[in-house]
Amino acid sequence: MNHRSSIRDGALLLTVLLGLGSVVGLSRWLDSHRRPADSKIEEEQLYLNGTTAKRISLGFNGLAADWYWMRSLQYVGRKIIDVPENIPIDGLGQLNLKLLAPLIDTATTLDPQFMEPYQYAAVVLPDIDLQQAIRITRKGIAANPSAWRLYQHLGFIYWQQKDFRAAGEAYDQGSKLAGAPAWMEAMKARMATEGGSRELAREIYQRMYEQAGDPQVKDMARRRLLQLDSLDQIAGLRKVLLAYQSRAGRCPASWKEIDPVLRALRVDLDSNGAPLDPAGTAYVLVNADCDVEVDRQSEVPRR
Amino acid sequence: MEPIQASKIVGSRNTPAHASAWHRIATIACNTFREAVRDRVLYNLVLFVLILTGAAVFIGELSGGQERKIIVDLGLSAMLLFGVFIAIFVGVGLVYKEIERRTVYAIFSKPVGRGEFLLGKYLGLCLTLLVNVAVMGAGVSLALIYVNRGWDPLALTIWPAVMLIYVELMILTGVALLFSSFSSPALSALLTFFVFIIGHFSADLKGLANSLGGRAARWLFAALYYSLPNLANLSFITPAAHGEVPAAQHVAIAILYSLVYIVVILAAATMIFSRRNFK
Repeated sequence: MNHRSSIRDGALLLTVLLGLGSVVGLSRWLDSHRRPADSKIEEEQLYLNGTTAKRISLGFNGLAADWYWMRSLQYVGRKIIDVPENIPIDGLGQLNLKLLAPLIDTATTLDPQFMEPYQYAAVVLPDIDLQQAIRITRKGIAANPSAWRLYQHLGFIYWQQKDFRAAGEAYDQGSKLAGAPAWMEAMKARMATEGGSRELAREIYQRMYEQAGDPQVKDMARRRLLQLDSLDQIAGLRKVLLAYQSRAGRCPASWKEIDPVLRALRVDLDSNGAPLDPAGTAYVLVNADCDVEVDRQSEVPRR
Repeated sequence: MEPIQASKIVGSRNTPAHASAWHRIATIACNTFREAVRDRVLYNLVLFVLILTGAAVFIGELSGGQERKIIVDLGLSAMLLFGVFIAIFVGVGLVYKEIERRTVYAIFSKPVGRGEFLLGKYLGLCLTLLVNVAVMGAGVSLALIYVNRGWDPLALTIWPAVMLIYVELMILTGVALLFSSFSSPALSALLTFFVFIIGHFSADLKGLANSLGGRAARWLFAALYYSLPNLANLSFITPAAHGEVPAAQHVAIAILYSLVYIVVILAAATMIFSRRNFK
């Protein structure tokens, strides 16, 4: 009897193991032979708007908001992975992210106090749908009238659009709120006098880097700061190239030819004598135009 | 499932016959709690711990730095959902099982009132839910401390929301008991679940009552609004995830409202149950 039951148990165990193995194998076959998802279906508008989703969430609206927030991050992430070029998240207009605004809108309607989606909307959406970016940020201000950071986000959107007057007003309104830092107040005047300057841009991205909770936004601000430093460096390198060209009557064939000048200017160089950008990647010498540009592999955004 | 031992309720021969009603209620409550433990109701805590552990470890990568908020949302929502399932599925069987197994005859042959029996059953399940909610609340607090790599104020500020969840579960347990005092378990579970859903739509019922033209319809929806529990008053999960603490006055009035509502439900359940003929 014992022997028989051992055989039976062994057979059952074998069935379970073989069955599981078969299921895994069949699933993998099905995955590999599945037709690519129809982009029309993938980009189908959300069935529920924020108000309806909130109504039917039965008190689980915070959790539902988290779900929509993570979905929007995954949605952007999937699109970025498909692009070979390393593009910053504030320049995703080319990726056709038409579901991003409804996803963020739903997340913020479900939980109007959820601040991260507003920041994401202010940073990522303007390049995709400017009006939605402004609308969602203003919706956040209406729901959280004492949150000065939302005015910072609104000011950032307008500043990017070079609407320095509207940006200055947004910073000014935010500066009047309790807890707002002193630099917010100074922003209105700076917007009026030096709206398009590199120094102001540096301060805006520096503040964003300090306060961002989202790692992607923080990384974007860091890379924009690197880009601003790089623009200063490129301006200096162009002067060196121009001086060499006017002296020698031609463009240098390689960085080696202007190595002594670069060393005298205390520019960081790699082993081949090429100047390094702020991310540590060598600049590319464009002989045809006698110009310098950021390497495609560099962390520094090219535009 | 172990039936209530009648001797435990009324005491042994040496116990004075006039043992207080509260003693009998407490005995039924303790027995109900023991039954729930033996029925492995508290095993749901294992699933809860797995969910929280998974969230604490993996959510960070998916949430863009929002793991603290998501842990609170997920933890408290799971606490409410698990509690609702326990309140409904255990609650509807509290009375039915005793009738089905005919142990109710042994109990009522002793000096135990039907109201005492119902109240004991109710308090026993409330005790089970209290243990459940307290352990889950502690789990959420620990997960927050783990994710924050140190003390997190949210670990403390979530507790008023946890308390309000427990009060909501107390109401649902009462509703389940009320339905099970006159209906089958399946129907009772369905009706209690409807009350849970409608309880979160109370504001819409009131809005509907105000917007309707006909007087009768207005009265109907107004009556529904006041007669069904307004569970939205006890819903504080989302603000708790942002570190908000409800105003003490709001909590006090919400708890008072709930207690009054529970008294009404239990009184109605006792009234119905007292009229049931077990012969």
